[in-house]
Amino acid sequence: MRGKGSLLGKGLIFGLALVFCMVTGVMAADTIRIGVAGPFTGDAAAYGDNIKAGVSLKLAEINAAGGINGKKVELVWGDDLCQPKEGGNVASKFANDKSIVAVIGHVCSSATLAGMPIYVRAKMPVISATSTNETIGKVGQGWFFRNCYTDDFQGRYLASYVVKDLLGLKKVAVFHENNDYAIGLKDSFMAGAKDSGLEVTGVEGFVKGTTDFTPQLTKLLRDKPETIFLCGYHLEGALIAGQARKLGFEGPLFGGDGIDNADYIKIGGEAANNTYLTVPFLADAAGPEGKKFAEDYLAANGREVDWMSANAYDCLGILADVIAKVGTDRQKIRDGLAAMNSAEAGFEGVTGLTYFNEVGDCSKPAFVKKVEGGKFVPAN
Amino acid sequence: MFLQQLVNGLTIGGIYALIAVGYTMVYGVIQLINFAHGEIYMLGAFFAVTFIVGMGMPFYMAFFLAMLCGAVCGMLLDVIAYRPLRQSPRLACLITAIGMSIFLQNLAMLIWGSRPKPFPGNTLPAWFNKTWHLTHFSLTGFHLFIFAVTIIMMVGLHLLIKKTRFGKAMRAVAQNKTMASLAGVNVNKVITLTFAVAGAMGAAAGLMVGAFYNSLYPTMGYVAGVKAFAAAVLGGIGSIPGAMLGGIVLGVAEAMGAGYLSSLYRDGISYGVMIIVIVFIPAGFFGVLIKETKKSI
Repeated sequence: MRGKGSLLGKGLIFGLALVFCMVTGVMAADTIRIGVAGPFTGDAAAYGDNIKAGVSLKLAEINAAGGINGKKVELVWGDDLCQPKEGGNVASKFANDKSIVAVIGHVCSSATLAGMPIYVRAKMPVISATSTNETIGKVGQGWFFRNCYTDDFQGRYLASYVVKDLLGLKKVAVFHENNDYAIGLKDSFMAGAKDSGLEVTGVEGFVKGTTDFTPQLTKLLRDKPETIFLCGYHLEGALIAGQARKLGFEGPLFGGDGIDNADYIKIGGEAANNTYLTVPFLADAAGPEGKKFAEDYLAANGREVDWMSANAYDCLGILADVIAKVGTDRQKIRDGLAAMNSAEAGFEGVTGLTYFNEVGDCSKPAFVKKVEGGKFVPAN
Repeated sequence: MFLQQLVNGLTIGGIYALIAVGYTMVYGVIQLINFAHGEIYMLGAFFAVTFIVGMGMPFYMAFFLAMLCGAVCGMLLDVIAYRPLRQSPRLACLITAIGMSIFLQNLAMLIWGSRPKPFPGNTLPAWFNKTWHLTHFSLTGFHLFIFAVTIIMMVGLHLLIKKTRFGKAMRAVAQNKTMASLAGVNVNKVITLTFAVAGAMGAAAGLMVGAFYNSLYPTMGYVAGVKAFAAAVLGGIGSIPGAMLGGIVLGVAEAMGAGYLSSLYRDGISYGVMIIVIVFIPAGFFGVLIKETKKSI
């Protein structure tokens, strides 16, 4: 086992491997590779499915039209399971892959927050379709952009418009998940509730992966709230809805963008009815482009479009636009995105007009949906 | 609220007890923590859903069949993974158990997909949804079903262990394998049948949890398994009444902790209770402290 022979052998294998990697790297330069990060397995996989459906629809259109400046676009998927640890792993993987020029993602705010420092160090431009936590812009240091609204806005909107005006109720129980998204949303909701004169009868939290919410719900329902805020993602929201109804709660439920998913109705069943939620995109309220997109989506995927798919579709559209103008250098792409800082320089997509401010946030309106008769319908 | 939390706690506790008993029985006979037991629990739920949705079986039939499948899975687990390692060091069995756990989780993901599934709600017997609103708490038919099943299984297991020949054989194997085989007990058969009983109870627990909380996913066995293992240790690993008591105590502590102290730290509270008990009673409630003696081969 010793001797010069085996060292030569090892060196040969190593050299061949190196050459192989370089060759494949060179071969891949014919396509434009964009990373897409999100939960494609696990509890939040339903979100990942929607993102995939949205970007895939846009990808098909782009490649059918010949690609960007003649080069086809290729998507690289990174599964972050909606967890910060995996978000960091996916970010490292994308950042170290020199052929990836931009990243669409992540979906969950916690994963995005975990990945951003890595992207900043690697100077990788990131555009998120769905991360709403308001601190991401600062952490992103100019490399982060998003085409959805922030929780700062959403929380207050829920308090002042949904609870006060639309539902006309005063006593709210807040049940939030213990993650960046839900805590940010809860904080801004509480601030908005204070300003709108609502009474928060109780605040309880749960950790990811909980399936039994009965002790906390029992505690919350003791104070007789008129409505419960499902401050979290669709799976837990559906389970909470079911268990709250079992415990005898009959009032309306409401939640933020995390609740908007067909699985909420599928898992919540009867209990999901009479839930209100705010979303960044509503097909019924969209312009003609939005309505056409909704039809194409339904034809391609067999289910109604949701806001995450629409935003993801536009994210790829925005990137394609910018890459067509500035090429495939990461810094130039970031500068191109940052240059979209006014209505004139904005991108008109199926979700409306998108342009970014100095931290990469954009201002988009919110719409309200509700669940009635086992389907999502507009609430007003 | 106290009574309602007690109801919640007894429900969760009963489930933990059913699973914990499985851990403790297997430990009793072969001194192995069967880490794959949580996966049998998970498979019980998935099999039941497949029977109900895929084959249109009524609930009770699916329940019994799922228990049967759980028993078969337990037996297969023993025959394939643990029996070949009977003479090997304990570490080999432990690693195999962890390996089987990962294998079964991924197998479930491959077969049923990794997304959480709802339990088909309208297939449950109608009386499950009937709610009785008493002065300080409310109870549904499903709660009563879980209590009834848990109690029947505990009593049944107790009778099995104390009054039947098989139970005697189990106790003999748990005390001393070599002597039991010298006394004419087919040790391997007893061990495999122990796995079968443990598997059946675990599968029943899984099915009830899946139906009650309306959420089935391939990794559901992990959390329940850890908590039930903690319950088994709390009651004294190897002692079946201990596992039952440990499960109930853990469940009630969890519900009370979540209800009165802090809902965010409810898991921490239940494990905290376990740690405090173990510190003061190292062998658990009914466990027996065995001093490590040098074994002569």
